[in-house]
Amino acid sequence: MQTLFDNLQVLFQGLALGSIYALVALGFVLIIRATNVVNFAQGDFAMLGGYAMVLFFTGLSWPYWLAFVAALAVMAVFGVLFNYGVYYPLRHRSFLPVLISTLGASIFLQNTVLAVFGPQPRPLDKVLSIDGLQVGGVFLDSQYLVILAVTVAMVAFTYVFFEHTLLGKKLQATSQDKDMARLLGIPVAAMITITFVYSAMLGGLAGVLVGPILFVSIGMGSIIALKAFAATIIGGFGDVTGAIVGGLLLGVIESLAAYHISVPYKDAYAFLALFLFLLVRPQGIFGEKVSEKA
Amino acid sequence: MRHRRAVLACSAAVLVVGAGLGVGPALAQDALRIGLVNEATGPNAEAGVFTHNGAKLALDEINAAGGLLGRKVELKLEDNQSTNPGTVLAFSKLFGDKSVVAVIGPIRSTQVQAASPTIMKAGIPTMIGGSDPSLTKVNNRWVFRARPNDSYSSRVIADFGVNTLKKQKWAILHSTDAFGAGGKAALEAALKTYGVTPVLVQGYTNNSQDFTPVVLAIKKSGADVIGSYMTNSPDVGIFAKQLRQLGVSAEWIGSSSVASVTAVQLAGPALDGVHGVTDFNPDSSPEAKAYSAKYRAAYKLEPDVYSSWAYDAMRVLAMGIANAKSTDPEAVRKAIIAIKGWKGVEGTYNFDDNGDGLRGYNVIQVGGGKVAFIKHIDFKD
Repeated sequence: MQTLFDNLQVLFQGLALGSIYALVALGFVLIIRATNVVNFAQGDFAMLGGYAMVLFFTGLSWPYWLAFVAALAVMAVFGVLFNYGVYYPLRHRSFLPVLISTLGASIFLQNTVLAVFGPQPRPLDKVLSIDGLQVGGVFLDSQYLVILAVTVAMVAFTYVFFEHTLLGKKLQATSQDKDMARLLGIPVAAMITITFVYSAMLGGLAGVLVGPILFVSIGMGSIIALKAFAATIIGGFGDVTGAIVGGLLLGVIESLAAYHISVPYKDAYAFLALFLFLLVRPQGIFGEKVSEKA
Repeated sequence: MRHRRAVLACSAAVLVVGAGLGVGPALAQDALRIGLVNEATGPNAEAGVFTHNGAKLALDEINAAGGLLGRKVELKLEDNQSTNPGTVLAFSKLFGDKSVVAVIGPIRSTQVQAASPTIMKAGIPTMIGGSDPSLTKVNNRWVFRARPNDSYSSRVIADFGVNTLKKQKWAILHSTDAFGAGGKAALEAALKTYGVTPVLVQGYTNNSQDFTPVVLAIKKSGADVIGSYMTNSPDVGIFAKQLRQLGVSAEWIGSSSVASVTAVQLAGPALDGVHGVTDFNPDSSPEAKAYSAKYRAAYKLEPDVYSSWAYDAMRVLAMGIANAKSTDPEAVRKAIIAIKGWKGVEGTYNFDDNGDGLRGYNVIQVGGGKVAFIKHIDFKD
């Protein structure tokens, strides 16, 4: 019985951490689809969101909901700035200059936050005032429950948004064929800006949610982003469902393997899974929505 | 012509006045310089400020008491950018200045290790704060340590757990990096001297986001005390919270990271009751209390190990030079090794031939976001 509870406990933690990977991976995928570039600063979006929350909630003592909305608003504005500062000037170049540009942005962001907030990691309050629920022999951390719920909600929202709204369809058209989209009268530059805004907000949301668990620190983004990137590849480069499934799968694989095999190699399992997928199914579980024709 | 005569006349006047006031020798000679290789920039820059504060406090006291060998003492700062290459460069620059008679080096073991050959080649007495036991055992005669090394922290953890808390079923939790692996080995060895074999030895990698498998393993092992060597404060925070959430009530004695200001702030009530070992605590001795009062008055900051070790290091160097009555490195080395029973703010210094001065740690306990002093444990060997 105890073994069963322990396994459920590990599974729960894995799903919750996997949700965070999934949220960040979703941001990755949206930008890859819109610009064909991996955004190496995606993890730092989470870090920025976390620090925005620290500033508004802990620093200025605003009510939680107001600080939350303000942090997301900051991320939205930041998405616009990021687009025009990091991507837009290089949009006609190949993917490599853009990729290096996002890498530079990542280093710049981390050092700017270091200069402003200092090197000490910051704690953050949980969304709910209770610590968690004891169900049988399993402890369900309230923040993890919130993370799971928000992820489900975001997945549903993203699906409805992209498949059932005009704006979502315009975004999809842009990501599939920019020239064609332009011919159809879709403002491509604006669509890409919107993608960056949405992606920055998703990243920021992940940071705010995970802050109470992993604390808000300069390096928090890099740790999550690496796993989220692996999740993106496992799920399928450029597929929204793939990002979600990849993230959850990765979280569960590493938790269960850490519990049953060995803890110090926890990170290794995640990358072993990545390696196996690259070897056996490089297009990921779901593959791309539009396959490149030879 | 008239111009040169005026200059001569003025110089003579200055000399006469100077001699008349009796400050001749002190001013006539250059100041004695002590180098400080410090983390002024980079990720550890905050600690660098504290280290400078501590050294400066000792320096001001030494100068107020008339300096050394009748000369004023100056601190010469070199930034090491919180990196190993930066440390080697900073040492080279300091050793290139012939007026530098001694150096206070870094508190990070890896930086000391990187600079050790440079220090050996220069042959200038250097105080270090790195706590890796091997640093003073590499045949480098010029390295002296103003902190206890890590072999003592594990002995204090074992002694306190076995003799004071009366616990026999140990779980050892350690980071898999150099610090954690070294600490684990030392703690296992220390427990062995009490006839204790741990029921669980569990490693983890730094920046683990989830300690559930670790906590479940501890629970399953039935350990009633945890000895830990954890490197990063966020890891301490995450582990502490999950440990209590999953209902493990075992005692916990950790290396200094469990009681760091950051860990206590991050973990909140989850760390209440946890014991830690640390080389500096403001309440551990009359010397530490006096130092803390001076430090608070001078900087409006709470003193910690980053400043206290540098304060002691400066005092030890000053004592060495004063007792040697010379700045000759060989004579200074001899004088430092001869220091026995001197009460510094970190503890009582008894230097051995390796250059190790301290053999004890303070045991502290976290409670309500604060750290309370419990006892100081010293070893003879």
